[in-house]
Amino acid sequence: MTTTDDGAFWTIIAYLISGLGFWGGLGYLGDRYLKTNFLTVLGMGIGMVTGLYLIWIRFIKETPPTK
Amino acid sequence: MKGTLSIVGFGLSTIGPGTATGLIFAAYINGVARQPEARSILQPIAFLGFALAEALAIFGLVLAFVLK
Amino acid sequence: MAQPGFVPPSSADFFFNPAVGSSILATKPVMLLLFSVILISAFFIVSARKAAVVPSRLQFAGEMVYGFVRDGISRDVIGEEFQRFVPLLFAIFTFILTNNLFGVIPLMQFPTMSHIGFPVSVTIFVYVVYHFVAIKKKGLGRYLKEMCFMPGVPKPVYVILAPVEFLTYFAVRPLTLAMRLFGNMFAGHLLLLLFTLGGQYMLKSALFVKFFSILSFGLAIGLSFFEMGIQCLQAYIFTLLAALYIAGALADEH
Repeated sequence: MTTTDDGAFWTIIAYLISGLGFWGGLGYLGDRYLKTNFLTVLGMGIGMVTGLYLIWIRFIKETPPTK
Repeated sequence: MKGTLSIVGFGLSTIGPGTATGLIFAAYINGVARQPEARSILQPIAFLGFALAEALAIFGLVLAFVLK
Repeated sequence: MAQPGFVPPSSADFFFNPAVGSSILATKPVMLLLFSVILISAFFIVSARKAAVVPSRLQFAGEMVYGFVRDGISRDVIGEEFQRFVPLLFAIFTFILTNNLFGVIPLMQFPTMSHIGFPVSVTIFVYVVYHFVAIKKKGLGRYLKEMCFMPGVPKPVYVILAPVEFLTYFAVRPLTLAMRLFGNMFAGHLLLLLFTLGGQYMLKSALFVKFFSILSFGLAIGLSFFEMGIQCLQAYIFTLLAALYIAGALADEH
């Protein structure tokens, strides 16, 4: 159905935002308090992979490829 | 005029994902229109492509806020 | 004569002085909000009062909107238990639609939802409802477990996944719900303001430039119709997503 498709798109975007936001935000805070400069990038990497992995599990792996 | 250059950068960075999303769904709709029973096969692929393209846009959004 | 130069519209144009006294409750958005409530109530009371088997034109219009929300949104998305949520979804749809359409109706021309407070309060309502429904049905523990710990993942990975999952369902999804409506209304109104103010400014400039003000005003009128489409669409999408979230809360697993 098109209606469930629509929900899936916004959920995908929400996953990406919260993945990047959470781990990137943690990395940013870590950078501020530990006076380093690589944690933000590392956190954003982890967050993006996490978001994509969650999307993979929720929307792509579950759907059976056969008819 | 005042404002931050980061926002301009974010605007520029949405061009690519915007085009990509359009192309992905154009192809998806085309495929489903030609062969409606292929929907269940095409849908996960379309979602994957959409997620990957959208990831770049959100990367741009976050970078626009992070980089000073 | 010193030209002050063109002043582009900014977010300051969205704040109005109170009409009466100095209370924030007497500003234009709140007035429009109250007016919309009166308008919606009056319309549906009048259209339903003389309900007949052969509907009058007014009754038909009212039933069409109701039927659209009940069949097109609620029943398609929520499934068997849809009847309970029809009043809520119907109220949300008509409320947002009316308030959005104020943006293009002459003399009002201000979409109430372009103030972030209004979409947020509607969203909080939806948020409370769908979490309450889910917790009532599944219990708090099972709800959280189903939400954060999906099957089919090695155990150590949950440390990374669970907070993201939690944040998505408790913060980002409702936030995007409010932000989308707010952003669309805000940007749309800003766009119309830009073209109208631009045309006005060019009308006061040199003769050659005056010609282009026609173009600007024409574009403003054209974009008003475009805006009208977006306003209807946003009301629909908001209601649809609210229904989808309720459906997700009712479903046994995601």
